[in-house]
Amino acid sequence: MTAETQGTLAQAAQAGLAIVGEVSVGFPANRSGYGQSTYGNTQPQTEEATWLRVHPDGTATAFAGKVEYGQGIRTGLAIEVADELRLPLEALDVVLGDTDRVPWDMGTFGSQSTARVGLQLRRAAATARETLLRLAADRLDLTLDELVCADGRVTSKSDPTRGLSYADLLQGQSLVEPIAEEPALTSIEDFTVMGRDEQRIDAVARVTGRAVYSQDVQVDGMLFAHVLRPPSFGAQLEAFDASVAEQMPGVVQVAREGNLLAVLAESDEAGELAARVVQAEWSEQPGQPSRWDMPALLLDSGAEDFTMQEAGDLDAGFAAADEVLESTYYIPYITNAPMEPRAAVARWDGGRLEVWAGTQRPFGIRSELAQLFELDEAEVRVIAPEIGGGFGGKSIYAPAAEAARLARIAGRPVRVAYSRIEEHTWATFRPAALIRVKSGFKRDGTLTAWEFRAYHAGERVNIGRRGSETPYDVPNVQVSVARSDSPLRSGSYRSLGGAPNHFAREVHMDEIAERTGLDPLEVRLRNLTHPRFRRVLETTAERFGWGNPLPEGHGQGIAIGLDVGSYCATAVEVRARGSEVRVERVEVAADCGLIVNPEGARNQMEGSVVMGLGTALYEAIDFEQGRLLNAGFARYRVPRIVDAPRINTTFTGDPDTPSTGAGEPAIVPIAPAISGAVFDATGERHQELPILRHR
Amino acid sequence: MPQLHVNGEAREAPQGIRNLLSYLRFDLGLTGTKYGCGEGLCGACTVLVDGQPLRSCMTTVGAVAGGRVTTIEGLADNGDLHPVQRAFVEESAMQCGYCIPGFIMGTVGLLNREAHPSREQIREALADHMCRCGTYQRIQRAVEHVAGSGVATQGGS
Ligand code: FES
Ligand code: FES
Repeated sequence: MTAETQGTLAQAAQAGLAIVGEVSVGFPANRSGYGQSTYGNTQPQTEEATWLRVHPDGTATAFAGKVEYGQGIRTGLAIEVADELRLPLEALDVVLGDTDRVPWDMGTFGSQSTARVGLQLRRAAATARETLLRLAADRLDLTLDELVCADGRVTSKSDPTRGLSYADLLQGQSLVEPIAEEPALTSIEDFTVMGRDEQRIDAVARVTGRAVYSQDVQVDGMLFAHVLRPPSFGAQLEAFDASVAEQMPGVVQVAREGNLLAVLAESDEAGELAARVVQAEWSEQPGQPSRWDMPALLLDSGAEDFTMQEAGDLDAGFAAADEVLESTYYIPYITNAPMEPRAAVARWDGGRLEVWAGTQRPFGIRSELAQLFELDEAEVRVIAPEIGGGFGGKSIYAPAAEAARLARIAGRPVRVAYSRIEEHTWATFRPAALIRVKSGFKRDGTLTAWEFRAYHAGERVNIGRRGSETPYDVPNVQVSVARSDSPLRSGSYRSLGGAPNHFAREVHMDEIAERTGLDPLEVRLRNLTHPRFRRVLETTAERFGWGNPLPEGHGQGIAIGLDVGSYCATAVEVRARGSEVRVERVEVAADCGLIVNPEGARNQMEGSVVMGLGTALYEAIDFEQGRLLNAGFARYRVPRIVDAPRINTTFTGDPDTPSTGAGEPAIVPIAPAISGAVFDATGERHQELPILRHR
Repeated sequence: MPQLHVNGEAREAPQGIRNLLSYLRFDLGLTGTKYGCGEGLCGACTVLVDGQPLRSCMTTVGAVAGGRVTTIEGLADNGDLHPVQRAFVEESAMQCGYCIPGFIMGTVGLLNREAHPSREQIREALADHMCRCGTYQRIQRAVEHVAGSGVATQGGS
C-alpha cells in the first residue's frame, strides 16, 4: 500500500532530470476578502521542492499537492505538462496529495490556486524542455534554434533524421535544475493536447474498480473502529460500560480518550455488533436551536458586518426611484453528501505517523496531526488517495485524528470509516443564510439603489462574502455581509456563500421584472454593461431559445452568476404539475478564460447544475435541539437520474484570458433560474429554498 | 461448507453471518464494490449474482451461496474492458468515479435482461443509483450508446 518514503528534495538527486522550484504558489488571490486559507495552515517549511522529473527512460512524473476528487485535475495537469514537455499523455504520471512526495500546497478548493499550480508545472516543464534542448545542442553540435522538441525527442529542424530521444539525453545523467525565471512557455496556438477533448487519464482505473479511495485502504494488522457517536451535538461522555462488548468475538478492545469512545475489532461487523451493547452515558447540551429558529437566529445574532461594496448615496437612490421593493430570502442548511463517506487509516511506526485520508487539504491535516501529537511535521505523512467527492467539505476531516488517536492507544493500525448516517451528521453543512434586499428602480427597470444585507451562519467571518457584490450597474449601492451564530457545524461547499447570495440577488431581479412588467432577460440586460457578463447572458438566451412559446404547465427562468473570476449564465425550462417540479432542460454559457480540458470543464458544469438542482428543489437539513432529523438518503433527497435534465454548455471565454476554473460557477445561477421558471409556470414566487418544501 | 463463486473462483463461505459487501471488500480485498449508504438506497455496492444486480450491502454471503457473484473486478475479460466499461470511458461518464462500479454493474444487469432498453427503461433501471457528482447525462449517454451499438453485452453470468 505504501510507497517508499522520500523527501521531495531527496528525490531531486535521483537519476534523470529533476526540476525544482518554490512551493508557495498555491495561494489563491485574496480577492474581496475571501479565497484565502481560513484554516490556519502552517506555512511550508521547505522553500523548494521537486515539481517534475524526467526519468532516464524518457517518461516523466509531475508532482502536485492538489488532490483528485472528481474534478479531473490529474488529467488537467497532465495535459499542461505534456504540451510543454512535448510528451504524449501516456508517458506522464502525476503524483498528487502525498505530503512526503509532493510540494507543499494549501489545499484543493479555489479554482485559482489550481490554475496557479498548473502554471508552475508548465514553467517546470518548459524549463525541462529547455534543458533537454541544451543537452541535445551539445551532443549534436547544433545551435538551440536549429533544434525542436516533439514527441519525446529533440531533432534537427533541417534534418529530422538527426535527433536524440529524451531517454538518450538523460542516460547516466543526474541533473537538478531550478525552474527558470522566465521559461519560454508554449503559446496557445501551439498547444497540441490542451483544449482538445481529452478523456480522463485515470478513467480505466475507475471503471475497473482499481482506483483506491480512503474507504478502500487496508493495511496489515489493521483494526476496524466503530465509534460511538454522541446522541446530539455537543454531548459529553460521562461514563460507559463495555464489559459485555469486550467479551464478544472479534473485539480487541473498547478504547476511550476524552469524548472519543470506540470499539476496536478485527472486522467491521464485529465492531458494529459489539458497539450495540456498549452502555454509554452522555450529558446533552440543553436549549439548542431547531430548524424553525433559524431565520430569527440569523438576524438577531448577526455580527461583524463587513461592507463588500459601497458607492453613491442609498437614500438619494431610493428617493430617485419610481418604486422601492423589499424582500427577504432564506436558504437552509444543506449537506454535501459526497458518495464516499469520509474514512481514514492511521499507522504509527515508532514516533512516525502515517495517515491515509481523502481530504482536500493533506498538508493542513498534517499540521493538525503534528500539533495534536506534538510531532515535527516531517514525522507525519498524510496521503490523500482518490476522493469520492468532496465539493469543498473534505477540507475538514475529523476521522484522520480519530484514527490516529485510536491507533496510538491500540498499538496497531486503525481504520475509522464514517457510515452514511455519520457522514450526514458529523461532517459539515453549507451554512444557512438569510438575506434582505431593498432595491429602488425606475419604471423602465433601471436600478437606482441596491441594498443587500446578508446573514450567513458560520464560525468564520468570511463564510458568506463570496458572490455578494452585484454585477448590475447601479449608482447607489451598499452590500454588507454579517456572520451569524451557527448551531450546526458549518463548512465549505461548492461556491459556499456564493450560491445563496446569487439566489437572493437574482430572484430579486425577477421580482423587479414582475413589478415593471419586463421580461426577466430584459431587466437584466438593461442593467448590465460588463462585456463578459453580457456575452454569457446573450449566448445562453439565444441557445435556449428564450421567449419561444412553451407547452402548458411549463415555465422558463434565467439568471447570471460570477464565481471567483468565472462568468456564467443559466436558462432553464421546468414543468410544474401538482406538487412536482421537473427541470426539463438547462442551457449554460460560461466564461472561465482558457480551458485546458473542455470535456472535463463541461462535465463540471453539468455536475454543478445537477447539484444546484437538488439545492433548489429538495434539500434542507432538518434538525431539532442538536439532533439531526433527516440523516441518510431515505430522508434526505438528492437528485437521481430520473430528475436529471438535459444540459447543454457553451464556453464563451477568450483563451488568452487566464484560466479561472469550471468547477463552481454553474452552481450559482441555477437555483434562482429554477425559481424564476417555477414562477413563470405557476405564478408562485419562491424566495425560500427548497422550493418543493414550500409548495 | 457452502460454496460460492466470485469472479469465477470457487470460495468457501465464511462461518456465521457475514454481510456480502463486507466480505467482498475486506475478506477478499475486492474494494471496487463500494459502500455508499449501507441502506440499499444508493447502488454503490451493486454486484451481479447469476447475472442479475443485487445490493450487496443488504445481503449476506449465505443468501447467495451456490450462486455466481460478479464484481466490477471480474467484468473485464483478460484485461479487455467490457463494452459497458468502455462506453463509460468513452463518454467520460464519471467524475470522482465512486458511484461508477455500481452504475456499471446495474447497467450490465439491465442489458442481461433487456438487450435494447429504451431511454425510459434505462432511467428506471438506474433510478436507485446515486451519483452525487451529477454525471447522469453522461451515464445515460454511455448506456444508450452501448445499448444501441448492438455489441454483445452479456457478462457476469
Ligand atoms: S451501499 Fe448498498 S445501496 Fe448504498
Ligand atoms: S462520479 Fe462521483 S458520485 Fe458519481
